[in-house]
Amino acid sequence: MKSSLLETKSLTVRFGGLTALKEVTLECREGEILGIIGPNGAGKTTLINVVSGIYFPNGGQIVFDGKDITKLPAHMRCRAGIGRTFQTIQLVKELSASENIMVGCLFGRGLGLREARRKTQELCELLQLPRPERYLAQLTMLEIKKVELARALAMTPKLLFLDEVMAGLSINETRAMIDLVREIGSRGVTICAIEHVMMVIKDLTERVVVLDGGQIIATGPYEHVCNDPGVIDAYLGKEE
Amino acid sequence: MKHLKSALLIAILAAAICFPLYTGTYLHHTAANILIYTTLALSWDMLLRSGQISFGMSGFCGIGSYAAVMVCLNLGISPLLSIVLAGLVAGLVATLLGFAVLHLRGMYFAVVTLAVAEIFRVIVANLSVTGGTMGKLLPGAIFGGNSYGIYWLMLGILLLTIGLSELFERSRIRFALTSIRNNEIVARSTGIDIFKYLVFTFALASAIQGMVGAASAQINGFVMPESSFSLNFALLPLAMALFGGVLSTPGPVIGGVLLGIIDQVLREQIPYGHLLVYGIVLVVVVLFMPNGIVRAARVQIQRIRIQRIRPTS
Amino acid sequence: MALIYGLQAGGLYALAALPLAVALGIVGILNLSHGTLLMLGGYFAFWASTLWGVDPLVSVVPLLVVFFVIGMLLYRTTIRRALKATLFSQLLLTFGLYIVFQELANLLWRSNARQLDLSYSSASATIGSITFGTSGFIYLAAAIALVVGLVLFLRRAKTGQAAVAVGQNPRGAQLCGIDIDRIYLLIFSLTVAIIGAIGALYVIRYSIFPQVGMPFNLKGLCLIAVAGEGNLVGIVWFALFLGIAESLIRSFPGYGGWASIVFFALLIAGILVRTHRERRR
Repeated sequence: MKSSLLETKSLTVRFGGLTALKEVTLECREGEILGIIGPNGAGKTTLINVVSGIYFPNGGQIVFDGKDITKLPAHMRCRAGIGRTFQTIQLVKELSASENIMVGCLFGRGLGLREARRKTQELCELLQLPRPERYLAQLTMLEIKKVELARALAMTPKLLFLDEVMAGLSINETRAMIDLVREIGSRGVTICAIEHVMMVIKDLTERVVVLDGGQIIATGPYEHVCNDPGVIDAYLGKEE
Repeated sequence: MKHLKSALLIAILAAAICFPLYTGTYLHHTAANILIYTTLALSWDMLLRSGQISFGMSGFCGIGSYAAVMVCLNLGISPLLSIVLAGLVAGLVATLLGFAVLHLRGMYFAVVTLAVAEIFRVIVANLSVTGGTMGKLLPGAIFGGNSYGIYWLMLGILLLTIGLSELFERSRIRFALTSIRNNEIVARSTGIDIFKYLVFTFALASAIQGMVGAASAQINGFVMPESSFSLNFALLPLAMALFGGVLSTPGPVIGGVLLGIIDQVLREQIPYGHLLVYGIVLVVVVLFMPNGIVRAARVQIQRIRIQRIRPTS
Repeated sequence: MALIYGLQAGGLYALAALPLAVALGIVGILNLSHGTLLMLGGYFAFWASTLWGVDPLVSVVPLLVVFFVIGMLLYRTTIRRALKATLFSQLLLTFGLYIVFQELANLLWRSNARQLDLSYSSASATIGSITFGTSGFIYLAAAIALVVGLVLFLRRAKTGQAAVAVGQNPRGAQLCGIDIDRIYLLIFSLTVAIIGAIGALYVIRYSIFPQVGMPFNLKGLCLIAVAGEGNLVGIVWFALFLGIAESLIRSFPGYGGWASIVFFALLIAGILVRTHRERRR
């Protein structure tokens, strides 16, 4: 039985009158690849945002690696070992691809400049990213995703959130990315992936959590969850 | 190519240092004045790299100048040391202020810095210990008014600032500030303590401004609310930095020196309203060279180089 | 007493701030040359009065027209290009214009202050034992008229509503078929026209010199920052409030010099309070 790396307990997040997350209690076990699915607006990205520290919850608790991080500021959580990628492209425009990755090394990991440069080169080779001196405007979509991934990895996270990392990729690119993610997982990083592309969830994840309207409506292996009537309703809408 | 660049820089540095040996007193003072504003332009740019626009330079210049004068008059500290102390005082004030104000962004932050600068001015103008609206008089100017010393003092401060600016550009500070400037959420998610960097940059830039203000006060031999907190300190360096090209070290320096020279030339031709052409220059630059003349020049040089390699028929 | 002068001064501050707010809110440009435009309008009215005996109140109408044209010229030649550029460029551009206008005035009319002496500028009234100048109420009346006019225009008139739409979401408005360039031109020229005309009102009571523009810039900015650029009515309230506060402090003997702090201190307080509420912590 793997130990719990991340636990949220009754996590509630409200934006004004809108409750984005309602009493969300879930668990992410060390070494697993957890999938988070759900219709649009279910609160998946909010969940990542709250765990990584962009928002603070209105209620509930977040426990990471045995410590309560609910009140910890975002940059400290990142150093504690939580990494993430973003749904919309969020690279720093005025830095080149390798410089973006270096940001992760320098601040997420606290390396010196020289070590950061070395590590950046390693990561570029691992992710097969040629000519990393290019800037955002000169990169393909897949390359941009790789840079974001590299930056997150540069922080040597224990837990990595992937927010729809497959969005916008072709079939071949998706396959390449799946292999990459599996490789990362095999190196000991626990992964939590939000996805809409079901093929990816089926291939990659061992366990899936389904969110709808800010609440968890199902948990379990993909096949199980797939056939859950509640989940089908959520995606397709209830039959009148 | 790199050697050529270094050689050029060394030549310019040598020329700058030897400048007073070939020119008269009037030019020494003029050049020192240009150096004052150029240093301010560079310090403003350093804060700009974090994404924050400040209109409060006049406030820190004023604080620095008053701090230096008060320390000189009341504690008998030497003028040079008073300049350093003034810088520390300004930096300290900025740090304290920063805790209150650096949660603000954009226009809000800019407006608040302006308001704070004006508040400092009014406070100083109303307290008798700072001499009220009449200000304070120093027994004499620094170095006994020796214009060589004055020039080298200001050159030294500018070189120090250039050094700090380059430090910013070549260290992890550049990565941090650029990330913060572009996207704070991402910066936070990659482990950057935004507040720490903002306070640090703000304090450092303000310390430089304090030193400049102090040096200016020592050179003039007096402080007065109107002149020590003059809005010229807050506004003209902005134009210089934007003219030369922001977010770099050479931009504000070149912009400062060039605009300073243009201004001085015009001042002699058109005593009343010489800033007019200054304003026209600004408008023209914004419309046709928005990235500043340094980058525009670089683009032109690139074009010329490409032409040489591949001449179009 | 202080209350009355405060109301009058506040009215003037509101007058100066309103067009700036409209320009910022709808066209999205912070017009740093704003204060100097007021100064130029003031000079026009001054000379019209001195040379041709035209009363400033009468000058208001031709000034509106003249400055509308000036606004159009400014927009077409300079502002429009700057809108596509960064915030820095816009600030620098309008700042450059501010210098141009101020120095132009310096060049043409030197920097000594001039004052009009009109028959009614020193009119006064007496209530009980207090005598006070009444000509300043023009500012209050004009401010009220202006804010009412602007709010009606923006809410009821078709062009006004289009302008609000453009201010909130330019791309969206464009997709709805609104010609945003025309709106920008119209609104910008309108704000220039208004502020030029306000210059005429200004010289009724105050002396004019080239540097007179900047304080209005600052105070206008303060008001906008505290009230919010869309909150025109709020700007008027804050302007009156600040005018009274300033006047009150001035009325205490020996504390007169501290009066200008009022604006800035309240500005900072206002901004801090507002952003504290908005922060999601």
